[in-house]
Amino acid sequence: MTSSAMQVFASFLHILAVAVYVGGSVAMEFVLGPAQSYIPPAQAQVMGQRSADRFLVMVWAALALFPISGLLLFFSLSDQDTLSGTKFFTTSYGQTLLGMIVLWAVLVVNGVVITFVLRPRLAHRASAPAGGAGVTERLEVMRAAASRLSLLTRIDLAIAVFIVLLGASLAYGGGLL
Amino acid sequence: MRVFLGFALTLAWALYLGGTVTMELVWRPVQRYLPPGQVNVLCQKMGRRYRWIALASLAIAGGALAPALRRPHLLSSPYGRTVCAGFACWALLAAGVLTMALLAHPALHLRHDASLSAEEHAVARERTRRAIRRMDVLLRSEIVLAFVAVLLAASLPSGGLL
Repeated sequence: MTSSAMQVFASFLHILAVAVYVGGSVAMEFVLGPAQSYIPPAQAQVMGQRSADRFLVMVWAALALFPISGLLLFFSLSDQDTLSGTKFFTTSYGQTLLGMIVLWAVLVVNGVVITFVLRPRLAHRASAPAGGAGVTERLEVMRAAASRLSLLTRIDLAIAVFIVLLGASLAYGGGLL
Repeated sequence: MRVFLGFALTLAWALYLGGTVTMELVWRPVQRYLPPGQVNVLCQKMGRRYRWIALASLAIAGGALAPALRRPHLLSSPYGRTVCAGFACWALLAAGVLTMALLAHPALHLRHDASLSAEEHAVARERTRRAIRRMDVLLRSEIVLAFVAVLLAASLPSGGLL
């Protein structure tokens, strides 16, 4: 594969990861989420749980694809020496790339919080037997977890859109930062 | 300006492709866990919402591609040919979304009159089945076209693909 073909392939994979992350989050947050209010709560819970489980797999695949395609893209470019030595921290190109890497790490951390903290808590509470004095409290905890999840998803979405802006500044210019 | 247009184009195609892929890989499999009546209601509500997201992302992609189309001798360079092919994908996708919004989607949700005879009911059911198949074909064609559009957009920073 020529360097140019490799560059196009890596760019394609990179945008594909962005598409799954950004486009998927928008569809989940602004299409699938609000639609749940049109069906009974028990069915809405099934829908929410099943769709979130499937979407999380896609999210993790996209988060894994970002660095893989990013490295492929970087090594297919001819101007690797622009980042040699301390240029990674001193040039606009290097700082923009560093910014993207840091923001990607934030997305990974938020992904861990959503997958391993908020989602299980929500599923556990939702499947707890109804009845008894703790029901209201449980529902409150569930609502709080759901709202934290939604907030975190929107923060992630904003970060991902900013990453796209940084990426575009690298692809079409010399960096943004 | 070039950075902004590149950002807009990437974001627009990402929104479009990500949305269609999510609907196909998340929403379609989840349907089997829900009663058909509720799936019907959800499809209707989500279809109406999603169409605006799809049209908005197509509008942004069209707006980001338009300045590149005004270049002179467009077809004489790989960049220009790729932009033209991207624009053709955009036009096909826009036609697809409009067909779905105005024809295919309403046909899925036609209410059958209770006073219909058994024969007329069978005809109406067959018509709905055909509408579902047509919608499936349209949706999958849209996904393939969106993948091609993203591939073309990804090749633009390195000078084009065609």
